[in-house]
Amino acid sequence: MVGMSVLRSAAAFAARLSPLKSGNTAANLLTRTVPRTDKVAVRWGHGKQMFVIKPSDYYDRRFLRLLQYYVLLTGIPMAVIVTFVNVFVGEAELAEIPEGYEPEHWEYYKHPVTRWISRTFYDSPVKDYEKMMAAIQIEKEKGDMRLTQLEVRRQMRQKGDGPWFQVETLDKNLIDNSPKSTPDN
Amino acid sequence: MPSDYDKDAYPEPPRQTPVVDKQTALPNPALIVSKLFYYSVDLPVTTFRGVIEGIQSGNKSVYYHQKFRRVPDLTGCQEGDYVCYYEAEMQWRRDYKVDQEIVKVIQERLRACQQREGPSYHQNCAKEMQQFTEVTKAYQARYGDLGAYASGRKCLMKQKERMMAAQAQQA
Repeated sequence: MVGMSVLRSAAAFAARLSPLKSGNTAANLLTRTVPRTDKVAVRWGHGKQMFVIKPSDYYDRRFLRLLQYYVLLTGIPMAVIVTFVNVFVGEAELAEIPEGYEPEHWEYYKHPVTRWISRTFYDSPVKDYEKMMAAIQIEKEKGDMRLTQLEVRRQMRQKGDGPWFQVETLDKNLIDNSPKSTPDN
Repeated sequence: MPSDYDKDAYPEPPRQTPVVDKQTALPNPALIVSKLFYYSVDLPVTTFRGVIEGIQSGNKSVYYHQKFRRVPDLTGCQEGDYVCYYEAEMQWRRDYKVDQEIVKVIQERLRACQQREGPSYHQNCAKEMQQFTEVTKAYQARYGDLGAYASGRKCLMKQKERMMAAQAQQA
């Protein structure tokens, strides 16, 4: 201890007291400069630099970023396709129906995309009309058949000469007529 | 370009461009502004249109106006013939749409007339006004209060009521 200087022993003592504080290591204690808080480097640029404490906007920005990404993922191809269709394949022009020609059902629309949808996915409106009329016809026939069935039931029940509503009776050979076979019984 | 509109229904007002009688050496600001508009907006748009039409001139397609055959309406159908009812109903709906479009066209004509004539539309638009009142009165009488669930049957019943009212008024 005699060989060590007083300052070094003071540094060692301070390091032992609070060893975790940075700037308190033995090397720092002797050579660090004292910060002067009255002489801050103020440059008239964006004002004094502030450390603004605000809640995290990471999640908000992440949401908006992902929203943008997923919207544009199909948005940009759709926009490009629609632009190319409008520029290179133009809209149709109105014309008179030529004599003896039956236009296809998609040839009644103007825009090429509508025509494509009508051609690829939809049935012709004539076919839809006929399908509806077929459904109506089937339902009408079902209704008529039900009405006639009710009428037939009514008639057969009333008259009793039809195949329905027949009650099984006993075989007439089983009847024993002996009590009434002679007049004197 | 699509075909032009009906020039008789929407007549253009007479041109009121004054004869140029320049008495000063100063430039005319209206002329400058119109030339500016022409070179900055009109010419680029027209050339763009020309370019696009040039690209599209190879593959031109046409579309047609669909014509429907007339079928017997509700009064011409047997009772219980639901297929006939359906066809009559579809025809009535198409006619309803056509009548709505007719009313819209007449409204548009009246609007255009008012815009054209300016403050003197009371006198100058008498024909359009009369046409408009006639058409709207007829539309109201035929399709007036049928509502959202309108059908050919309801319209027929409305017609029956009208005829009954007319008969009662006559007698």
